[in-house]
Amino acid sequence: MIPYAESLLIFTSLAVILASSLNLMLGYGGMFSAAHAVFYGIGAYTASLLALHVNSSILLCVPAAMIAGGVAGALLAVPALRVKEEYFVVASLGFQVIASTVFNQWVAVTGGIGGLTGIPPASFMSIQVDSYGGYLVLALLCAAGVLIALKLLVRSEFGRALRALRDDEAALQALGRDPVRLRVATVVIAAMLAAIAGAIYAYFTSFVNPESFSLDESILIMVMVIIGGTGTLTGPVLGAVFITTFPALLSFVQIPSTILGPTQRVVYGAVITLLMIYEPEGLLGFLRRISRVASFSALRRWQPSTSSS
Amino acid sequence: MATEHILELTGLSKSFGGNRVITALDLAISRGGVTSLVGPNGAGKTTLFDLVTGFLTPDAGRVRLLGRDITGKPPHLVARAGIVRTFQSLRLFSSLTVLENVLLAADSEAGMRSSSERHESARVAMERAGVAGLADVRAADLSFAEQKFVSLARAIAKPAGLMLLDEPASGLDGPSLRRFHAIVRALVDEGRTVLLIEHNLDIVRQISDRVAFLNNGRLLAHGTPDEIFAMEELAALYFGDDAAT
Repeated sequence: MIPYAESLLIFTSLAVILASSLNLMLGYGGMFSAAHAVFYGIGAYTASLLALHVNSSILLCVPAAMIAGGVAGALLAVPALRVKEEYFVVASLGFQVIASTVFNQWVAVTGGIGGLTGIPPASFMSIQVDSYGGYLVLALLCAAGVLIALKLLVRSEFGRALRALRDDEAALQALGRDPVRLRVATVVIAAMLAAIAGAIYAYFTSFVNPESFSLDESILIMVMVIIGGTGTLTGPVLGAVFITTFPALLSFVQIPSTILGPTQRVVYGAVITLLMIYEPEGLLGFLRRISRVASFSALRRWQPSTSSS
Repeated sequence: MATEHILELTGLSKSFGGNRVITALDLAISRGGVTSLVGPNGAGKTTLFDLVTGFLTPDAGRVRLLGRDITGKPPHLVARAGIVRTFQSLRLFSSLTVLENVLLAADSEAGMRSSSERHESARVAMERAGVAGLADVRAADLSFAEQKFVSLARAIAKPAGLMLLDEPASGLDGPSLRRFHAIVRALVDEGRTVLLIEHNLDIVRQISDRVAFLNNGRLLAHGTPDEIFAMEELAALYFGDDAAT
């Protein structure tokens, strides 16, 4: 049970990194991307190849994964962001399809459908991370680091310009800011952060194949951000936790094993749909509403006692 | 040798489909002072601002800022060259606070000034526009008049030599108009050049050093307010034939 819980927490931490990094593009920059799993995958493959053929040190593999992810981000962003903003999502979809094909077909490098196996465990100086607990600490530290970096970034001059870009591009241009450059930088940063999750994933599973970095994964990451609530740091974290842990929680419901899988998927889909219909601001909006109702109830309980005194 | 004109427009033309909005327009704006662009609705005033600031590309003609050709340059490069503009629809960053809105104008000069200098510049601009007390208020939560002055503060914070203000006084009440007048004159006194679009002719008469009259995309007259307002044919164009009689 403990390894299962640890494994779930590790995947949740990776999901937090992926959703939070996508939120930089989607929530703060207003750019919908259907290719975030590509950066996740490039991070995973880069770290895997280096760990297999050079050295499994985190100090080598993670920065290299980030650089590769950033380069991939630039490859998507530089041409795609010169066209109209709404076409970016289509361009990103094309990028995802191309990348999936490369992951599948470039057998000499990616191992094709069979993937890369036997990836050595992560090492840091002379310490080797070879337990679930060790990976949990590593994943939590990376997630915390990414969240802190994003918080600082959003509060910086860069983040201010990014939020302004979402509000009114023309007004920002009139103040001397190049929106294309700002968007490209945002995609590159988001891709670099997503690649960190890829590197940790590769170390932890010791196996990577294209299935983990497909269009389905990209859409799932987008759903995490939207379900949680865009444009805040907390929203995507809530979305990532919900999307990763909810199916696992459903497995504790006592239903016949023959219908367990389909039932889980139906309940899961229904909850997401209902949430979006009744709470378009996502889980964060839902929690805020509950908090307001609770505060109001507390106020109502408090008022009669003060008026009678 | 420094040119005496901060802005020179020569042979500027722009059409949308078959509709000619600006036709072979020549206009030179001297350094310093306030020039008002007036004319009936559809005269091409805002289109002219869009052509100067790079939001539209002219079909023909040149735009020169201090003698430097900026024709067809994208808006952010025009802004960096030394032109700041406001918009008729204000276009504040609604989810940002007033301070953040104004800071963005100062931020765009990054590399030239430190963060504390940019904050100081934003603070001064807010004080000059009379919105320092609103620094932490979200732009979306401001009244219309407050938004107008925040828009002006944003333009002030950018140290551009030429300010293009699109209907900055529309919708303002008497005291706000006097405040606006004082702010603009103070900007001119410190050496800035202001080109503004305004429909309130009382304001135009009070605030302007020069007036340019546009109609159907053509520059019909350019002179002092007294010269322009003495032309009965222009009044007829602006108010209809009855005004001239």
